[in-house]
Amino acid sequence: MTNQTKSQFIAVASITSELSAVMVVAKEISLAAANAKAIAFRAGDKAKGFQPITDFINELAKETIELVTNINIHALVLYRLTVNEFQKTTAYNKFELAVKMAGDAAYANTMQKPLDNARLSMQDCQRQFKRDVSQLLGQLEEVMHHARAARVIAANSRIEASQAGEYLQSLQAVAESVDKAAHTIHDNVQRCRIALSIYRNN
Amino acid sequence: MKMTKIYEGSHQWIMFGRDENKPGNIIDTNQYVVRTANRCLLLDPGGAELFAPMMAAVLHHAPVDQITDLFASHQDPDVISSLGLWDQALTNAKLHAPAIWEGFLRHYSCESIEYVPIPDNGGTIKLDSVELQIIPAHYLHSPGNFHVYDPQAKILMTGDVGAAIEANDAPVFVDNFAVHVEKMRYWHQRWMPSNQAKRVWIERVRNLDIDILAPQHGRMFKGDDVKRFLDWFDALQVGIAV
Ligand SMILES: [Fe+2]
Ligand SMILES: [Fe+2]
Repeated sequence: MTNQTKSQFIAVASITSELSAVMVVAKEISLAAANAKAIAFRAGDKAKGFQPITDFINELAKETIELVTNINIHALVLYRLTVNEFQKTTAYNKFELAVKMAGDAAYANTMQKPLDNARLSMQDCQRQFKRDVSQLLGQLEEVMHHARAARVIAANSRIEASQAGEYLQSLQAVAESVDKAAHTIHDNVQRCRIALSIYRNN
Repeated sequence: MKMTKIYEGSHQWIMFGRDENKPGNIIDTNQYVVRTANRCLLLDPGGAELFAPMMAAVLHHAPVDQITDLFASHQDPDVISSLGLWDQALTNAKLHAPAIWEGFLRHYSCESIEYVPIPDNGGTIKLDSVELQIIPAHYLHSPGNFHVYDPQAKILMTGDVGAAIEANDAPVFVDNFAVHVEKMRYWHQRWMPSNQAKRVWIERVRNLDIDILAPQHGRMFKGDDVKRFLDWFDALQVGIAV
């Protein structure tokens, strides 16, 4: 296996592991939203501005989970494509070697067709991989977008929390955890994108 | 890859082996090719490492599109881990292999090649006008295991039975049976699990008219050495690891 193939396998495998972490964090956000809603309900008028924010956080978490689930399916397709490409490349290299070794054998030229076919399907795989990577990068960008939005909401939450009297601390804690989670998602997804970006179609 | 023609009649048998470019840490194997007018059968075509030299060697005898049949005596990697590569090279081929190994062998990838499952009681392979018999050899050593007998050429291809570990430049035929026995003893005692299976196989094979007994490793047996081998194997206790 060449280093190029190895790093491709690693890049694809790392998406799945980074994303499973994103999933955990997104579920944490969703939990924080439910928690915040309960507090805001108890705080009543004092947390009036906080209530719509909790719904918004919850919605965002749900969307992120959905998006990541979708990306995971794509990552699996990408993994299969990587395996496929590896097999095709191996076959092409072995066919090339066979032709070389056959030298002036009586029927050496009959290997030309299988060799050409192997080259074509290998190139097909490479193209498809690049195309799928571009698509996946787009989806990851969307998750980043969600993470950025979550951070803005966290900042707003902090402001609203400051007006919630005795509930200030617990609401601030909610804002804090949303912010932290969004930060983690942002970092993980960023790592995925960096790992993949060298394979992008351009 | 060394090529030795072992039968020449209405069709040919060619033995391929002693590959000088083979990595040192993989076991040396013998591949056999049956060449008829328009077709070509590869018996135990070998491991993935051997694909390129094997293909190159076959191209001396047949064009790619006439490699129509593969046979795997059992599921071992030294027998057939090249399957995924043949699968991509051949467009119109069949793999004759034990039925019970189908789900396992497909892990090597067998999409364009048609898997022809051999039932436990064996069968035949027809190549143009030549008919080869598939002889059951279960538990020797694999639970689903077959040998191929050619009644016309009087050759019995025996997979791991009769195998020996040899130097890379060893002759292809046994020339001194007494000396050769020592190279086979531990192999057969350790790899062959069942005395009962061995007895049944020997009984079956003694009824065949055999000029050459052709194993997948080591040297072939010719003439009187065939009977010597059967007698020796008959007396050997196998399955010693328990
Ligand atoms: Fe074996
Ligand atoms: Fe073997």
